[in-house]
Amino acid sequence: MNEFLHAMILTELEDAVGKENCSVKQIDKVTHSVDYYWLSRMWADRGRRMPEADFVVAPKDAQETSKVLKIANYYKIPVTTWGAGGGTQGGAIPVCGGIILDTKRMNQIYEVNTDSMYIECGTGAIYKHIEWAANEVGKATMHYPSSLTCSTVGGFLAHRGIGVVSTKYGKIDDMVLQMEVVLPNGDIIYTSPAPKHAAGPDLNQIFIGSEGTLGVITKAQIRIYDQPEERRFRGFLFQDMSGAFKASRELLQKFKPSVMRLYDPAETASLIKKIVGVEKPGAFMNIAYEGCKEMVEVEEKILLETFAKYGAEDLGSEYGEKWWNEKITFFYPGHMMDIPQMFGTMDTIAPYDKIEKIYWAMKEAIETNFPQAKFIAHFSHWYEWGSMIYDRFIVDGKDVPEDPVEALRLHQEIWTCGVRAALANGGVVNDHHGVGIKLGRLMKEQYGPAMQVFEGIKKSLDPNGIMNPFKLGL
Amino acid sequence: MMSEKSKQHVESCRFCWMCHHICPIGNATGLERNTARARALGLSLVNRNAIELSEVIDNVYECACCGACVHDCTTGWDPVMFTKEARLDAAMEGVLPEYINALVDNCLETGNAYGVTELDGALVSEIEKHADKKDVLLFLGVDARCKVPVAAVNAIKALEKANVEFSVLADEPASGWQLEYLISAANETKEQMEACAKVLNDYAKVVVFDPQDAKVLKREYKEWGVEVNAEVVTYTSYAAELLANGKLTAVNCGKEMTYQDPFQLARDLGETEEPRKVIAAYADLKEMLCNSGDTMWAGNLLMKEWMADVIVRVAQARIRNAKGVGADTIVTASVSEYASLKAVDQDEVKIVSIEELILGA
Repeated sequence: MNEFLHAMILTELEDAVGKENCSVKQIDKVTHSVDYYWLSRMWADRGRRMPEADFVVAPKDAQETSKVLKIANYYKIPVTTWGAGGGTQGGAIPVCGGIILDTKRMNQIYEVNTDSMYIECGTGAIYKHIEWAANEVGKATMHYPSSLTCSTVGGFLAHRGIGVVSTKYGKIDDMVLQMEVVLPNGDIIYTSPAPKHAAGPDLNQIFIGSEGTLGVITKAQIRIYDQPEERRFRGFLFQDMSGAFKASRELLQKFKPSVMRLYDPAETASLIKKIVGVEKPGAFMNIAYEGCKEMVEVEEKILLETFAKYGAEDLGSEYGEKWWNEKITFFYPGHMMDIPQMFGTMDTIAPYDKIEKIYWAMKEAIETNFPQAKFIAHFSHWYEWGSMIYDRFIVDGKDVPEDPVEALRLHQEIWTCGVRAALANGGVVNDHHGVGIKLGRLMKEQYGPAMQVFEGIKKSLDPNGIMNPFKLGL
Repeated sequence: MMSEKSKQHVESCRFCWMCHHICPIGNATGLERNTARARALGLSLVNRNAIELSEVIDNVYECACCGACVHDCTTGWDPVMFTKEARLDAAMEGVLPEYINALVDNCLETGNAYGVTELDGALVSEIEKHADKKDVLLFLGVDARCKVPVAAVNAIKALEKANVEFSVLADEPASGWQLEYLISAANETKEQMEACAKVLNDYAKVVVFDPQDAKVLKREYKEWGVEVNAEVVTYTSYAAELLANGKLTAVNCGKEMTYQDPFQLARDLGETEEPRKVIAAYADLKEMLCNSGDTMWAGNLLMKEWMADVIVRVAQARIRNAKGVGADTIVTASVSEYASLKAVDQDEVKIVSIEELILGA
């Protein structure tokens, strides 16, 4: 972009959102160029600058967002929406420059509605803040991912996030009533006032997970729940994964626990041993069940009976409680993998008849093709019909090329190999971290001709292709 | 040149987002750069020669050094440490922003960052009443003396109510907290602290009104080997003591009040209960979100010099927290937070200082 045009566009953006909310400072550009994506971190670690936006703007609401998108459309410059930058897939990185649209000025909590049990808020609100708002009236959002404190409502919606009590309360896409969305042409639209209806396809679900490629979600009504009277934990140790799958599938036909997390023997022996203190070999599983006290009593009885049938060793409540208290500790520097290691979470999801096969296929694919990589996994979100794998590869720093391009190549190859193994065995390209730029190339392999549905929507809503280019495979 | 220890903390924080929710400035501005990770990322790129310190230095001064992020960090990383070290580096390298240079110059020339050379007349009169040398010294601090003289006067009167004999200095030296905040452990900061210590050592006990002074007197002085022989107590703990030994008497007004813990007391010095004892004697204490060690900073006067609009938003957020629990009054123990909260244009929540509470306001 030439200097003259840059200056012209800057004045228009300043007019749209106010001078103080439009920046071309180096610090703002740098800050918005690195998210939680390993490649962006590695690039910065090697002293390189990631692609940066030309402008960083922070609209306060849908109206200002609309003005920004109209300007961007006129000049045909890219717009990348940024929540809090905690995404792992590079979805918020402005790879083509242009405008970073930071949503965090849209952090208003408009209403805490305890009749219909939702909070209406701007999507720039940090999720922990809406949890605080819910707590103030004795309620809870029940969306507790490890990134609760560092992600926005819009960020979770953009990539279909999930929290640790999902088995009972659902994913973020289950937790939304109505949304306000600004389309790429600047039109402001509202999805249906109730999330369950027969008024055509679900508009919410077109925009949830669209990762800023179809517009900007600016406001949402997020469900809240009564705090449970009681929440109990129980830890178990399975000697093999198959038994754990059978026990869990049977349990879920009877009731829905809030937390269900099964760790494979490798992750039990590493992270779980380190943080929770389980020393014995095997596959550790933590179950939490909650709600009215009488129901919890009954559920505990069913749980113990069901898991005993499959030979699970009952470890009592201590490890489960420890896990709950430390559930975010796993992700702090010093506990979490970090550079110079190379790592990635290749989460996928599938029905029960495929999930175990996928686990072994991915493990074999990674460990055979990349002997320098360690493969660990846990299964953290469960349904009556299936489960997801949170499987990770870790490469020691000594085996990671210092040259950033070579490191990028190895990272891409491992990812492609792992995800293809999942796809080949009936898995999905991702469960809850999204696609971003990291997995965009694999979307066509996932969907085949079905991809034209997404492409058609994209072309119709964003004919100039300005919204978050090269993300989601669009 | 950043120390290896600070570099290690920078490397850990640069890609960690976990304290994003807790930064009072980040929450007020919504700016991504107002996060510990953004500051660390910028400094890590400086360490790699990918960006100049001068290009990120403004951001280094957008931090209150309140330690909310440090307190929140499960693994003990310390963004305040590397932020202060970056300020010292900037001072040594001559890349301080102009607006900071001006404040530092004021500190060196007048003893306060605001460049105030004459005190308010009413305050001068009150100080003169306590010119005689006593065992106890009431140390008012630059914010009260230069910017909020009414607070300084009330601090004196509240102690008078307890019939305590004490001195107040007409030419009170600066404790050095402002320089410590602006340029960290520079020689000039230590020299100011040593000069102050020399004066304080003439007294048996020093009652420190401003938590900003109390923090450095009880912490940095020790860490940097500046010796204070006098017993240093905070104003709030002294007030609690006066209540406990009957020198102050209180009547509970029955109103529900919440308390704004100054981070210097609650986090840096671990003092959370003494102010609560004082408030509980005069009113019904109702805790708001983020209290005690988890406190959320409510603004200060020094940063108001270069980011006044942000300080208003920081204070507004705290008033919202008070409203959230239905409290109609916020009690402050920091003159700086008192002034910041008072400056917000609103009339739903009353702002009352500890000394006003004692005086029956």
